[in-house]
Amino acid sequence: MFRKILIANRGEIALRILRGCRELGLEAVVAYSEADRDSLPVQLADEAICIGPADARRSYLSAPAVISAALVAGCDAIHPGYGFLSEDDGFAEVVAAHGLTFIGPPAAVLERFASKAGTRQLLGAHGLPTIPGSDGMLRDEMHALGEAERIGYPVLIKPSAGGGGKGMRMVRTGRELESVLRVCRSEAKAAFGDDSLYLEKWLDENRHVEIQVAIDRYGHGVHLGERDCSVQRRHQKIIEEAPTPALSDAARADLAERAVRAAIAAGYENLGTLEFLVDRDGDFFFIEINCRIQVEHPVTEMLTGVDMVTTQIRIAAGEPLGFAQSDVVMTGHAIEFRINAEDPAHEFRPGAGLVERYHAPGGPGVRVDSHLFSGYEVPPYYDSLLGKLIVWGPDRETAIARSRVALNELVVEGLVTNVSIHQAMLENEAFLAGRMTTNMLDRVGSEAFLAAAARS
Amino acid sequence: MPESTQPAERRAERSDAERLADHAAIDRLSAELLPALIAKLGATGLGELEVREGGWRVRLRRPGSGVAGGGATRDRRSSERDRDRAARAGSQGAALGLTPVGPGRDGRDGHDGSTNGHDARLDGPTVASSPAVGIFQPRYEARAGTKVRAGDQLGSVDMLGIPQDVVAPADGVVGASLVEPGDAVEYGQELIVIEFATAGAAAAVSEA
Repeated sequence: MFRKILIANRGEIALRILRGCRELGLEAVVAYSEADRDSLPVQLADEAICIGPADARRSYLSAPAVISAALVAGCDAIHPGYGFLSEDDGFAEVVAAHGLTFIGPPAAVLERFASKAGTRQLLGAHGLPTIPGSDGMLRDEMHALGEAERIGYPVLIKPSAGGGGKGMRMVRTGRELESVLRVCRSEAKAAFGDDSLYLEKWLDENRHVEIQVAIDRYGHGVHLGERDCSVQRRHQKIIEEAPTPALSDAARADLAERAVRAAIAAGYENLGTLEFLVDRDGDFFFIEINCRIQVEHPVTEMLTGVDMVTTQIRIAAGEPLGFAQSDVVMTGHAIEFRINAEDPAHEFRPGAGLVERYHAPGGPGVRVDSHLFSGYEVPPYYDSLLGKLIVWGPDRETAIARSRVALNELVVEGLVTNVSIHQAMLENEAFLAGRMTTNMLDRVGSEAFLAAAARS
Repeated sequence: MPESTQPAERRAERSDAERLADHAAIDRLSAELLPALIAKLGATGLGELEVREGGWRVRLRRPGSGVAGGGATRDRRSSERDRDRAARAGSQGAALGLTPVGPGRDGRDGHDGSTNGHDARLDGPTVASSPAVGIFQPRYEARAGTKVRAGDQLGSVDMLGIPQDVVAPADGVVGASLVEPGDAVEYGQELIVIEFATAGAAAAVSEA
């Protein structure tokens, strides 16, 4: 097992990893940018080290800064969290070259799954139906137009690195494609330091269902069920839940088993999330694998009782998984709400500033993962996630009822948050009936959506 | 003849009124506006800020990229810790060459009489901070007692084999080193004191 881990991330996930390290009895050092000097993870850490200025390219996205920090702090492993350098195989390789362990899949595994097009091919060969997409990365505009024509519009432009909806656009015509290609590239470059893009066929009415797997170095693996992330705004997940209301128990089990079998066969290692689009008929298509801890991992933790972060660290340290599929028992229903500093009344404009007052809800089945505190100043440089409210109930109805109570209890004063959109969702007929699709919020428009909820 | 004297008289009258207004404006600019703008420039990470007010224009420009990348980069109204840190060294703003000056501010150390708003002065020692996280090595040519100009290299911080220059934030004389050669340092950490520091023109106040 490791002795000391560098946490190369910020916000709620830095805090979550810090807790995981402490649970395992490991020392942890929080690496932070100058803008995060007063953040909760830095305050709570036994040790913290400033790695650069507010600009993420010179701090959280700087491989030399992160690795140098790990070395001077005497760490033997780096936890990258999500976003930033978490899925960068080049980074994982340099980490290993300096005698440190990257907490995630080994560099060789990350490299094998680095190309999204290549991954589709690989997992397709191991029995997963895949979504049609471009042949590799888009070289230029001509190549993009040609590939889009071949796949058939509408198509989704996606960045090869990272996620979170940045650099992603759905386009219905060649003209649209031409006009947004450059924007997507610069967004991807800014967010992930890599501007390669590819195309994927867009299914108009689809649900996003993902399977969580955990596979050790010795090829023993389990799935931890699925998460339904169909409530999205501009390809950004805002609510995740499990089990998915979209599939029958038998279909869910079938999908999960096929996913973990394919991942093991393809040589995957550590935590992974296989994302699928599920169409109206319940047919599913593999789209991509996320080789990191995910924002929505608590949903799975609530259902299975398996600690995803400590499992990830143990696997990276070379320990055997230690449990089998028959040990994984899923109970009840869990829903996660991403609390973002975004103004739903103004195109979800991201906000920053002083949190004048903060109160986290509680009660049975309620969990809050957040780095907020009263008096915290949210810096304007990073993403707008303030925290996550996760609510568990023995069934979906109870989870929804508890969610209403918890959202009403939550207090974040001084900043505008997206809580109203969550409250509206809990009054929405399609959501209550479990019929949300990934494009519904964008199609209806958030304003109309909020207004409808206010009327009911 | 009257045609020629009348405008001259008017000019004199105007300039009297102007002078009063100018003095008031200068006082206000240096006491209120400049510190606020400096904080803003630090917080936003922008390279340049310009404000127009009445007949006045104030432009703040960050020094060139050669200067240590450290420094305070945000508003710290809520942070006791940061206030302490700033009070200890006063170095963060100095690293950016953005120390506020003006009547009542730099009069303590005998730099008084500097009524010239173009010539920004520091009132004592300032500190060169670390441009990176890594291992610090001083530069022999810049040992204690050496006279240096703003931007001169004082040492380097090795970040995974990439040396990052530690540079003097101001003109002055190299003073005490706050760390030992070979020490691990973090980004922004104070490394070397610069005594008798005087900054170059950082804040230029000019008439529009």
